Amino acid sequence: MTTESTPAVALRMTGITKSFPGVMALQDVDLEINEGEVHAIVGENGAGKSTLMKILAGFYQPDKGEIEVGGRKAIHWTPREARSRGIGMIYQELNLVPDLSVAENISLGAMPTRGPFVDYRAMNAKADAVLRELDTDIDPGTRLGDLSISQQQLVEIAKVVARQPNVVVFDEPTSSLGDKETRVLFDVITKMRDRGIAIIYISHRLQEVMEIGDRVTVLRDGRHIETRDVAGITPDEMVSLMVGRDLNEMFPKFDLGLGEQVLAIEGASRAGQFDNVTLDVRKHEIVGLAGLVGSGRTEVARALFGLDPLEEGTITLAGKVLKIRSPRQAVAAGIALVPEDRKGQGIIPGLSVRENFTLPVITRITNALLIFLGKERKIVTELADRLKVNPPQVERPLNVFSGGNQQKVVLGKWLLSEPKLLILDEPTRGVDVGAKADIHHIIGEFAQDGGGVLMISSELPELLAVCDRIFVLHEGVIAAEISRADATEESVMRAATGQEVAA
Amino acid sequence: MNQLVAPARSLDKSTTPGALFSTLSIPIAILVLVVIGSVASPSFLTVNNLTNVLNANSAVGLIALGMTFVMVSGGLADLSVPANVAMGALVTLGAQESMGTGLAALMGLLVASMGGVVNGILIGYLRINPIIATLGTGSVLLGLSQLLVGGGIVYAQPSALSTFVKSSILGIPVFIWIFIFVALILHPLLARTSFGRWSLAVGGNYQAAQASAVPVRFTKAAAFAMTGFLAGLCGVLLALSNGQARPIIGTGYEFVAITAVVIGGTSVFGGNGSVLRTVGGVLITALIGNLIILLGFPSQATGLITGAIVLGAVGIDAYFRRKAGRL
Repeated sequence: MTTESTPAVALRMTGITKSFPGVMALQDVDLEINEGEVHAIVGENGAGKSTLMKILAGFYQPDKGEIEVGGRKAIHWTPREARSRGIGMIYQELNLVPDLSVAENISLGAMPTRGPFVDYRAMNAKADAVLRELDTDIDPGTRLGDLSISQQQLVEIAKVVARQPNVVVFDEPTSSLGDKETRVLFDVITKMRDRGIAIIYISHRLQEVMEIGDRVTVLRDGRHIETRDVAGITPDEMVSLMVGRDLNEMFPKFDLGLGEQVLAIEGASRAGQFDNVTLDVRKHEIVGLAGLVGSGRTEVARALFGLDPLEEGTITLAGKVLKIRSPRQAVAAGIALVPEDRKGQGIIPGLSVRENFTLPVITRITNALLIFLGKERKIVTELADRLKVNPPQVERPLNVFSGGNQQKVVLGKWLLSEPKLLILDEPTRGVDVGAKADIHHIIGEFAQDGGGVLMISSELPELLAVCDRIFVLHEGVIAAEISRADATEESVMRAATGQEVAA
Repeated sequence: MNQLVAPARSLDKSTTPGALFSTLSIPIAILVLVVIGSVASPSFLTVNNLTNVLNANSAVGLIALGMTFVMVSGGLADLSVPANVAMGALVTLGAQESMGTGLAALMGLLVASMGGVVNGILIGYLRINPIIATLGTGSVLLGLSQLLVGGGIVYAQPSALSTFVKSSILGIPVFIWIFIFVALILHPLLARTSFGRWSLAVGGNYQAAQASAVPVRFTKAAAFAMTGFLAGLCGVLLALSNGQARPIIGTGYEFVAITAVVIGGTSVFGGNGSVLRTVGGVLITALIGNLIILLGFPSQATGLITGAIVLGAVGIDAYFRRKAGRL
């Protein structure tokens, strides 16, 4: 979507340098974004993407370097100034008020008034116009909390678009979306781009970058590595630029003989969530559970772990029928769950890596009274080493670690409990490629050692690469069971969208 | 990236400047207070004065030790403390005649502990907001105690137990020994046992703790039961040593305890803290109170000064939390 003449530069950042105590976060980074382009920025966690964007948004002041917006130099760059100069940010987490209406959310902070009162008519008209511009059919009067997550995200976008921005940053916008919702988002982004808005798109999902991006900039270790046309680069090239080495196998797969049944679920139901779900996992096996967001994947996992007990059906673990009513019972029976919501349900941010690691098994390393601190340290240090937790400082609170390392700790916590069945809900979401490979390796080893794995992921390539079998859920019902040999993105998607019903 | 370690919890944390400061801040504060005190008044740094100061703060210090668990496990605060203190005291003296001092004291402990258990059930199991729940149970129990004694004073009869409570061992009053004894039990309970680890986890992230097979409801409830018991113990000791008790005997003790815990650096938001730090907090509040008097300020200024310190401590905590959260 470029015109014949050279496109106008919407944003130019030159020589941006930023250091934090002990860390050089950004070093002499240049970035140039044109009007009407989608410019992807990729890099591992810690490469400097977030810092660069926080500088752009005015949250951090750079130590050196200049920002130019629409050809004008930026001075006194604060969040307020950035916003008024047309910089819009859309983050992974939504910044919306569930109890207000869609229109109120869109106008929040800048409500049209008549005299001392809010002019609701003008406010609704404004919201309606923006929502129409984005081609959505959301009613401005709806209470925000009644919308689905993806609709809420559209409202978040509308909120930014209503301010008529020149540059909009999307920071991992698809991490909580399914494939269908991602489509809708891409349509909206394309529309914004066609109106001349400069889009910065940050994602770990390289397939998406290939699809939506016009150009891509790779950052590594706080440095600008390369900016290229997306048409002239492959995902593999991007990965090797990001990590600075060749990751010859993104998804290592070990060949394993299958063992006896670890888990069998029969006729499992919970009203409004899933219905008559039957599936099984064997020893050494990694079984995928695919489906769109809202298909009941997460709900099945939560039921297995006793968070929302089954209403009907049976769970058999290693030959024993179980009634699981709480996570404590699930853990005692040998089930572990790495939850989808890492921040909310996975980590205890203020506790150290050591304390997080041993939480579920702490009673196993105590005598009648006290914890064996020496033994705990030894176990934890070995585990951190095996999982390549970086930096390898187990006494630090977990919240200072990157997302990938936090996820390794959550995973490691459950490995310590030596479960028979490991349930993983989006285990690599928001995790950089290096940590992702490490996590896949850990999962593979667990299966190799005789465990069974049930894995949920929105990333089809990941499921296809890692899983031995894939069950596909569609609207709470198992739509297909697909073997590794028959599994393709197409066959899984067809089942997930209800175009194919299991024989 | 930039790591800002929130007020550190244990002494073996990595030695960033922030962590080091938070480890040393309590001893430094105590030292500063002692220096100020010795300069200000020749009677400050005497065995007699310091023993008196500690003796006067030991009973309420017991409650602060329990309150540490309440705050660490994310239970905010126990506002029913004055009621449980009153229950412990009044039941002991009321039952003294009929069942003898020893049994009556046990009875007082039991009744106050029951109050704590009720709080625990309401907060841990029924998940009622702790402030509302303890405000409610506190009003009910205090009202009950006032009905029992008709607003009057209950007097103690002389007994061997009350003589013992008022005595000293090795020159140190029994109150202080009891405080030290309880602290020596509770410190490792928080720092070195599974229960302690659970408390920190529940306060740090309730949902994640629950998903990690931590008995979240029990952990939260136990903190309140423990505080009820210790408030009762405080009441029993005060009743026996004062030789009398009124329903208002524990008025304001909840705030004194909260102040000590917060000044010790335990976060009101839960998830970190230590009993040893609370002991430090008790010492600091005790010394501040003493200094106010020795420096010739009106004793009414105590609330103003300790209140300001609490607000400062909570403010700093919130500031660091926010910074660490943004990261």
